[in-house]
Amino acid sequence: MHIDVRGLPPPAPLVRILQLVGSIRDGTPVIVHHDRDPQMLYPELAELGWAAERIDGEPGEVRLRLEPASR
Amino acid sequence: MKLAGAFLSGATSRLLPASIPLRFFGAAIASHLLAWLALLAGSEALPRFAGGLGWTLAALHLVTLGVLAMTAIGASLQLLPVATRQAVGSVRWPALIWWLYTPGVAAVAVGMGAAQPVVLASGAAAVVVALLVFVALLAKNLVGAKGMPVVVAHGWIALASLLAVLLTALSLAFAYVGAPIIDRGTGLALHVVLATYGFMGMLALGLSYILVPMFALSGAPNERRALASCALAALALALAGAAAFGISPRPLRVIAVLAAAAAVAMHLQLMSVALKTGMRRELGRSFRLVRIAWALLPLSLAAALAVALDFPFEGMQTLFGLVLIVGWLLTFLLGILQRILPFLASMHKPPGKAPPRTPSSLTDDRPLAVHFWCHLAALALLALAIIADSAAIAAIASVIGAAGASALAVFFMILLQRMRRPHSTIRVRNDRVA
Repeated sequence: MHIDVRGLPPPAPLVRILQLVGSIRDGTPVIVHHDRDPQMLYPELAELGWAAERIDGEPGEVRLRLEPASR
Repeated sequence: MKLAGAFLSGATSRLLPASIPLRFFGAAIASHLLAWLALLAGSEALPRFAGGLGWTLAALHLVTLGVLAMTAIGASLQLLPVATRQAVGSVRWPALIWWLYTPGVAAVAVGMGAAQPVVLASGAAAVVVALLVFVALLAKNLVGAKGMPVVVAHGWIALASLLAVLLTALSLAFAYVGAPIIDRGTGLALHVVLATYGFMGMLALGLSYILVPMFALSGAPNERRALASCALAALALALAGAAAFGISPRPLRVIAVLAAAAAVAMHLQLMSVALKTGMRRELGRSFRLVRIAWALLPLSLAAALAVALDFPFEGMQTLFGLVLIVGWLLTFLLGILQRILPFLASMHKPPGKAPPRTPSSLTDDRPLAVHFWCHLAALALLALAIIADSAAIAAIASVIGAAGASALAVFFMILLQRMRRPHSTIRVRNDRVA
């Protein structure tokens, strides 16, 4: 599952990512396409029991793979 | 590498080391306790306080400089680079600010309390230098900001207000040693308005446009309405400033209050929308303080109007100061501080290979409950002390306020302790801090 939040003003990226993560029941990983490192996302993700991993993306893009931390 | 916190490769480029914001927040929490103790020492003068050296004035400045500005500096140094997408730069400047500012505030408080003008003036000089460095860092951040025009606009007005506050503060401090820069009455009127509604007020309103939607998990507030609110607030400050220089003081003050009321109404409507539309509806006790502070902000404007119209009550100016500084600014800031402390702390990597913290695992809710009730009781009793002109009630309020401040200090110490311990040894008593 992918979500592209590039170009959105704060805190819309945070809200949309958390909305998506909160809707997932089967632990499907989420690939986030962002234009900045979303530092305020990580504590919120941790509260939900999810983890983030930075993966390769396009130049200027911050691409993250999110999945439940227990995996 | 998979991590559940903010420690991805390069993630720390916009984060200061935890020790920098935490030292500001720690000093603010200590100043909070000292302010209530100073108020206890000056409780005799509190019900009809109208300025002048003594422990009441010291308590006032321990709140404004020691708690409000100290927290604002720590929060803005940490949050603005994140919000405006910039690197934080050298940590030496924030550290220098703290080392100049904290002893400077202590000297100002002691100089005021013990009526030692030389100590006061030397402390004021250190505070002014520290705040000028902060102004330079803030200006650099605002100039290079990418996006967030609402926060940036509020930041510029707060910065301009702070510069004027520094000038008037120096003038007032040096008046005690016989060398004022501007007329004392003008300087005092400018100082009160620009320090409270200008510097602290505009920072509080501006940072709310980041923090409230972030904690409520709602969309960004309407930008045009937020900028209109900001413009009205700036107009109100300009009018109040002109009135301080004796230009049609009464009509201008009344118009300033009305413009400020319109600005506040727009701001609170935007905050209400953010809370109503947010994913997170239950925001806990800390946001109950924020909501109470929001109710007291328009009440402070009503009190300002009463002062402008010479309402026939001897303690009106003191009551205005209480509602504005303790009711609106301090209550708001304490609510936000309780919320952002665990959040910011959780953004920093714990020592060694320990897994990252969650905000709820760093929060002990019990001391916050004690602080909540003590703060509100102290505020209500201080209002009663002013209305009844009772020094005894003011003293009781100060003791209760000091108990609440001690509880907040316990919360902070527990948070620091939990930051240093492995995650598995933390017994989380709160299921999920809302």
